[in-house]
Amino acid sequence: MNEDSLKLTSYFGERQRTADNGFAADALLDLYGQRGIATSILLRGVEGFGARQRLRTDRSLTLSDDLPLTAVAVDTRSRIEGLLESTSGLLRSGLVTLERARLLTGDMDVDAPIETPDDETKLTVYLGRQERVYRVPAFVAVCDLLHRRGIAGATALLGVDGTAHGKRQRAAFFSRNAGTPMMVIAVGSGTRIARVLPELGGLLRQPLLTLERVRICKRDGELLCRPPAAGESLPPVDPTGMPLARKLMVYTSEAALHDGQPVHRAIVRRLREAGISGATTQRGMWGFHGDHPPHGDRLLQLGRHVPALTIVIDSPERIQTAFDIIDDLTAEHGLVTCETVPAIRPVGSGQAMEGRSAAG
Amino acid sequence: MNVLVWTAVVVIGGAGSLLRFYADGLISSVTGRDFPLGTMVINVSGAIVLGLLSGLALSSSQYLLLGTAAVGSYTTFSTWMLETQRLTEERQHRKAVLNIVVSLALGIAAAALGRLIGMHL
Repeated sequence: MNEDSLKLTSYFGERQRTADNGFAADALLDLYGQRGIATSILLRGVEGFGARQRLRTDRSLTLSDDLPLTAVAVDTRSRIEGLLESTSGLLRSGLVTLERARLLTGDMDVDAPIETPDDETKLTVYLGRQERVYRVPAFVAVCDLLHRRGIAGATALLGVDGTAHGKRQRAAFFSRNAGTPMMVIAVGSGTRIARVLPELGGLLRQPLLTLERVRICKRDGELLCRPPAAGESLPPVDPTGMPLARKLMVYTSEAALHDGQPVHRAIVRRLREAGISGATTQRGMWGFHGDHPPHGDRLLQLGRHVPALTIVIDSPERIQTAFDIIDDLTAEHGLVTCETVPAIRPVGSGQAMEGRSAAG
Repeated sequence: MNVLVWTAVVVIGGAGSLLRFYADGLISSVTGRDFPLGTMVINVSGAIVLGLLSGLALSSSQYLLLGTAAVGSYTTFSTWMLETQRLTEERQHRKAVLNIVVSLALGIAAAALGRLIGMHL
């Protein structure tokens, strides 16, 4: 399969409940399982806040029972459009985005995987937690391959729930969790990523990956371009009437510090002080950036050696403020990308509603 | 030692850990989360109370209920250790050392102070 698909992403709090008092995360993933969504993954963030500016963080043990969650679902356009209303109906607050993505499964021998080969591209590879290739964990093998082929960077994120090839794969306490979903997110030039695709197809038994276009704003302290201003090249709403927001993804390392604290912590704090609508940080478990070989935590260590990924979504006007803050904090390290995403704020009634005041 | 005392240990122990949960949540949300002050305040205040109890002449059942069940469940060694480890994970080495040294110094002083008060009551 190689077709234009949609990626539905929901950002919400772990303790959020649905109208019938179940956890929203469970209800959402039950739905994705029932509908046999090609791939979906539930990620638990380490820190974040929404439009209500309430900080959720794992910094204190007592207060880390309500962390930010991100649920991603990718499938064909019609199947994801069918999910949109139920998803925003299940969530009482948070943010739901709908992005175009190209979903590739099975044979990776694709003719024209990317529209313009010069474009920067985001590649996401969906894997199982215990999936192995040649006795090596699949995420390690994928990161190695991407690193050898000169891709700018990759981050492996571990999910707690999801579906793979339409089948529910939920992590449990007493289980090997072999199929629990993981994702490796990589950013690089379209031509390089196109070249690596057949190799990924050969490496993985059941490859499942998506391609998206991104714009690289900043790399290793070098400013390449600012996020486009409001109205620049794009109308305020997408063809279906969803308001268009901008999404920044900031790839940093747990080891990169700003003023003595990890850069991602500083980013979330400063964005919250500035009243930005929301941000979520995921801690990766493996990855690389630039020339460094892929790395993760070691058995004996003091500080952690894993990548961190911070996602910020706001209106095109306010994302300029967010970018100024991020620009300041990523003076030496990190990769910042920008995308335009149709975004709505769910209100739990089954109907979509826009606006920063509509909770989150 | 009877069923009543054991039941009371269960109930008081549960109440102590709930008190810690809410006290830590309140302190952390007021003072911010850069430093695990909530756990430190809980452990130091628990040390005062335990010191005070040991200074009083209590029966073994009373001491079991107040000392082991109430203060034992209210204070937490494991959270103190985990939060210190988490500080080092994020390379906050100064804060990690501070968390251990200040907790120890204040804790021992608090226990001694409590005991002093208890013996004069």
